[in-house]
Amino acid sequence: MSIFSFFRSAPRPSAVQAKERLQIVMAHERAGRSGPDYLPMLQQELLAVIAKYIDIDQNKVEVKLDRGGDCSTLELNIELPAREAAKALKEAAKAAVGKANGGAAADDDESSDSVKMAAGGALTNGGIKKRR
Amino acid sequence: MGKIIVMTSGKGGVGKTTSSAAFATGLALRGFKTVVIDFDVGLRNLDLVMGCERRVVFDFINVINGEAKLNQALIKDKRIDNLYILPTSQTRDKDALTKEGVEKVLNELSKEFDYILCDSPAGIERGALMSLYFADHAIIVTNPEVSSVRDSDRILGVLNSKSRRAERGEEPVTQQLLLTRYDPERVERGEMLKVDDVLEILAIPLLGVIPESQAVLRASNVGMPVILDEHSNAGQAYIDAVGRFLGEDLEHRFVSVPKKGLFSRLLRRTA
Ligand SMILES: Nc1ncnc2c1ncn2[C@@H]1O[C@H](COP(=O)(O)OP(=O)(O)OP(=O)(O)O)[C@@H](O)[C@H]1O
Ligand SMILES: [Mg+2]
Repeated sequence: MSIFSFFRSAPRPSAVQAKERLQIVMAHERAGRSGPDYLPMLQQELLAVIAKYIDIDQNKVEVKLDRGGDCSTLELNIELPAREAAKALKEAAKAAVGKANGGAAADDDESSDSVKMAAGGALTNGGIKKRR
Repeated sequence: MGKIIVMTSGKGGVGKTTSSAAFATGLALRGFKTVVIDFDVGLRNLDLVMGCERRVVFDFINVINGEAKLNQALIKDKRIDNLYILPTSQTRDKDALTKEGVEKVLNELSKEFDYILCDSPAGIERGALMSLYFADHAIIVTNPEVSSVRDSDRILGVLNSKSRRAERGEEPVTQQLLLTRYDPERVERGEMLKVDDVLEILAIPLLGVIPESQAVLRASNVGMPVILDEHSNAGQAYIDAVGRFLGEDLEHRFVSVPKKGLFSRLLRRTA
């Protein structure tokens, strides 16, 4: 290796990126291999709770996941039919925060009301390094 | 109504997933609303090649089983508008692909999308059969190598007898050849089948020749379809192939060794 390569800020080699991507995704896959696929059930139960308060359209529910090395975030995005309904859900969400250890945040946008519930770090944690 | 394309080969490891990712991206870049579906149940890989592996929540099988809505399983590409990925399950097996389930999902997709690209698994078992059954167009991915050419011929036979179009006696599935991992230098040395040899044997129209290229591995390392590496031979060859698929008449590039002086040849060896 030439001495000049120290001064060039080379982009991260693609092989390094490949290894990092694999470590993250495989840590999650290996962790989930033993248990059942909980996401569909989790979603159904969450929706059932929300449906107790509000009439929601199943097609307007968006579930987003971002798997990270140390922490993953699950984001549930529900488009609500009316502004009043959003208020009702905010109350419910606030009440839930008091009890649960997760985090809940509500926000409005102009076209529709949406409520996001984010559970950071609660779902999974630990990268491949923590595995034996 | 969207058009259904299957990327198929019979033989494994010839470049179906690489080509599916590239082709879907190329169609979306041309403005067509495109979705690419991973049919390789149990061996999910398209998500990695497309770079969306961290965002998979629900999958194709969840949708077939009614455990999630289609629009919850579709992943929107972060780079390209109009491009969506439907990942497959990493835990189930290919029996989860029922004909009725697949048909329902494809019908729903074809209302919304211009192109639905099915990335077939290797073999001629359930997964491969389901990925080609509903196709309007088939792209046969072949390497210039004896077993790949023979397996491609076998798949052409399956398309002509077991696809829905064949069963219903409709106009046959169109079939085009995508010759991948082509190495003009080895062809010149007589070590590899020529494009014309393969065309003579398979007797289907040539959609494109994708050269053997180091850019393919680099692209998959970082989760970027190689067609987005516009400087690479492979990227350019995929761009041309998409153009031809859309009816453009483009000359085939990268099929012969560039004529160069002795000096630059020597240089290239070390490059
Ligand atoms: N043009 C090319 N140049 C160099 N390497 C290539 C090229 N096309 C594909 N490859 C490599 O070949 C390997 C197999 O590619 P790919 O996964 O796309 O094949 P496949 O047909 O989908 O495999 P499978 O049958 O297992 O699904 C990968 O390592 C890929 O990087
Ligand atoms: Mg594949």
